[in-house]
Amino acid sequence: MTEHRSIVSRKGPQPTSVYAHAHIHGGLVWVTAQAGRDPETGETVPGGMEGQLDRAISNLEAILDDCGSSLERVVRTMIMFVDESDLDAMNRAYAKRFHPPLPARTSFGVKFLAPEPGTEKVRVQIDCVAEV
Amino acid sequence: MKPDPTVTTKGAPIPRGPYVHARKQDGLIWVTGQIGRDPSTGDFVKGGFEAEFHQAIDNLEAILKASGSSLDRVVRTQIEFVDEADLEAMNRIYGERFQPPLPARTSFGVAFLWKGAKVQIDCVAAVD
Repeated sequence: MTEHRSIVSRKGPQPTSVYAHAHIHGGLVWVTAQAGRDPETGETVPGGMEGQLDRAISNLEAILDDCGSSLERVVRTMIMFVDESDLDAMNRAYAKRFHPPLPARTSFGVKFLAPEPGTEKVRVQIDCVAEV
Repeated sequence: MKPDPTVTTKGAPIPRGPYVHARKQDGLIWVTGQIGRDPSTGDFVKGGFEAEFHQAIDNLEAILKASGSSLDRVVRTQIEFVDEADLEAMNRIYGERFQPPLPARTSFGVAFLWKGAKVQIDCVAAVD
């Protein structure tokens, strides 16, 4: 039987709207875009692009772990960011967390991202599809 | 040992960041967003939106071919572009390059793309 279920992980920042953390179907897990929110406080972490993207990837990792997957099994990521001057920092933070075999990736600039709790402006979001 | 699930080909511009051209997973190939860079020089092609979009689709096609797939096996595309005025050119070129059975498609305007690119396209395709 094909598994078909949605996941809300206790290890990821709790959803602030109508979404699950992830949905599993047919050997793939589709993970909701994560911002750099601290799962304990729910607030966006400091540290600009690097701090936020590192935290967002940790959130992906926690959700993937709960789904029986991991960063190594990610097949595709999508990154949305608001400030073009964050490009190099984005690649730096990303390269610290993703190692070969690397996923396919699509990234682009957006006009804005949804605000999250805390005082930091949300600079980046990342989602993924992974094998499970 | 599992075979390497990633694909990177000389037929498309060398990745300029921590990503591969494509990654396979159980009958699907997931292709990284491609822009209008010439694989032989790495530079943007000249000729504005239309030339860039053709080149980006050429790059997708080269990656799909290297992966054992092709444009007619694409199930979904995503297109990001910067200037709303390029919408008609985008549809015209897309219609020249993709034939029935057409993929599902999502396209939208973005604030910016890598180093001034005017358009980017990625896809998911069937692969053996």
